Amino acid sequence: MTMSLMMIRRAMLIAFIAALIAVPWVVPALINKFWVSVIAEIMIWSLFAASVNLLFGYVGLLSFGQALYFGFGMYGVAIGISTFGLSFWPAFGLGIVASVAIALVAGIFAVRLTWHYFAIITVVFSLIFYFFAVSVKSVTGGDDGINFTLPPTFSFGGYTASFSNETFQYFFIFAAVAFCFFLMHRVIQSPLGKAFVAIRDNDTRAELIGLNVYQLRLIAFVMSGFLAGVSGALFAFFGRYASASYMFYHVSGEAVVWAIVGGAGTLLGPVVGTTLFIVIREVVSTHWEHHSLIVGVMAILVVILAPTGLVGLWNEWLARWSAREKVPATRTSLQSEP
Amino acid sequence: MLDTLLLLALNGLIWGLIIALIALGLSIIFGLLDIINIAHGDFFMVGTVLAWFTLNLTGNFWVAFLIVPLIGFILGALIQRIVIQPIRNVAALSIVATFGLSLILQEVVRITFGATPRRILPPIQDTILLFGINYDVYRIFAAMIALVALAGFFLFLHRTKLGTWMRAVRHDRDTAIAMGVPAQHVYIFTFGIGFALAALGGVVAAPITTVEFRTGVDILPFCFMAVIIGGLGNLPGTAAAAVLLAVIEGIIQSFADPTVARISSLVLMSAVLLLRPQGLFKGLAK
Repeated sequence: MTMSLMMIRRAMLIAFIAALIAVPWVVPALINKFWVSVIAEIMIWSLFAASVNLLFGYVGLLSFGQALYFGFGMYGVAIGISTFGLSFWPAFGLGIVASVAIALVAGIFAVRLTWHYFAIITVVFSLIFYFFAVSVKSVTGGDDGINFTLPPTFSFGGYTASFSNETFQYFFIFAAVAFCFFLMHRVIQSPLGKAFVAIRDNDTRAELIGLNVYQLRLIAFVMSGFLAGVSGALFAFFGRYASASYMFYHVSGEAVVWAIVGGAGTLLGPVVGTTLFIVIREVVSTHWEHHSLIVGVMAILVVILAPTGLVGLWNEWLARWSAREKVPATRTSLQSEP
Repeated sequence: MLDTLLLLALNGLIWGLIIALIALGLSIIFGLLDIINIAHGDFFMVGTVLAWFTLNLTGNFWVAFLIVPLIGFILGALIQRIVIQPIRNVAALSIVATFGLSLILQEVVRITFGATPRRILPPIQDTILLFGINYDVYRIFAAMIALVALAGFFLFLHRTKLGTWMRAVRHDRDTAIAMGVPAQHVYIFTFGIGFALAALGGVVAAPITTVEFRTGVDILPFCFMAVIIGGLGNLPGTAAAAVLLAVIEGIIQSFADPTVARISSLVLMSAVLLLRPQGLFKGLAK
């Protein structure tokens, strides 16, 4: 009679995905078209927050410099299109390759360090490239950024599909983000993911049972750079724009806040955190320009009241609820015994 | 050419002494409470803004040197009690909490003070001829104030009971508590002192820089560099590194772009983190 936790979770996930698919039709009818693009943006930033979560929530390394890989994904696309005249897919590929490559180089050094030192060296690496991007204006456009015209995504003969069609743009972003989350889910479920968690929980023990901690951390770091790079590339497509200001440490910091407030170490925690903060921003900023105040207060309240994040709180609540359901069930079965 | 070089080095030295004040605050908070304080740059910014308010309310800038660090201390103590204490044991959360704090401080300043950058006229308007140009006397005075405050802080740390308690809790928290040191109060006090030092730095720097809600964001990375290069929790090392970095950046700026100077100190910092994570000045500690 009692639904298992697994089933509740699965039903909620299916409902969530169905709701996301329905967005381009339902949201304009209920609210307005503008919110479709807000939801698309939320998906992009959720992926960015997920890149923090993969490292912190599953491997225990708090990166404060994810904006670097986001920026490389973003600039790979923007420079690929505006400078090299690439079409859509090669530019996408360039963005991803650039971010993975820089994540590999940064990771080789960064994962030698842990905890505070790791957080600081990641932010230092991202600052180096931020200042670099600001100073080489001829390539990056500095803080003003680069605007570009987006080539079509697909074209077969006379038919073209491009981001100028908003529904296509939405579904492209949805598909790319969903694919990345699916990949992340598979990694976490795999033996590799179990090794990550082992390192997070106790790196000495992980080392002693024969795991190569350095190598595993580096793998996670590069994967996380990949997620951040894809989100940066998508953001460049979405905004037809790239700017050095997205490489500043505040952007990394926001992703950390979104991931931890949503619930680090849970697949959908970053989605919840990102959604919460961007919705607040969009709703409040039209009425009140000081919406950051609310963001700051919420961040503090959540870490004090729900240190495991909102999804963590929800999971605890769900576990308690199902435990309460089970207790009477066992009692009745005991009573029915002769 | 030599004159410009010396001038930029002098500017660096003065700026380095002010940074040393702020970075010391960051360092004691880090060393004692194990917290990476993202809001520390904003503590400095609040100091500059409070200096501006003091000047406009009382018409006297000198009052700010007394009042602002005091307000800073009270704010810091309150923040420790209300925000930091409940999450003390989870260091990752402290980054989120102080990030939130940083947003709150910036927005409150934007609401009360406004978003437009303002300038404060130095309380000493005289100039002296130095290396071929008329140099502001206030800058030299600012360096003096920073030096006196640094010396005062180290005296406090080594010559008073409270200072000894702070060092004791940092060195070995459990033993200190067993010996009867009220650690909880020491934490509150330390956070207060950290804020007060940054706020004092803000007052000293207010007539030299612009006063606006964003200044903290620019200064934070520099303070972290000083703390790291000096060695985490190594207070004299932090002060020395702040001066060293600012002078080096000043000299590099005499022949290259300011961002090049910033990039080189960041690269230096990465090298220190990877090769000598205990900092450049290990020998100076304790």
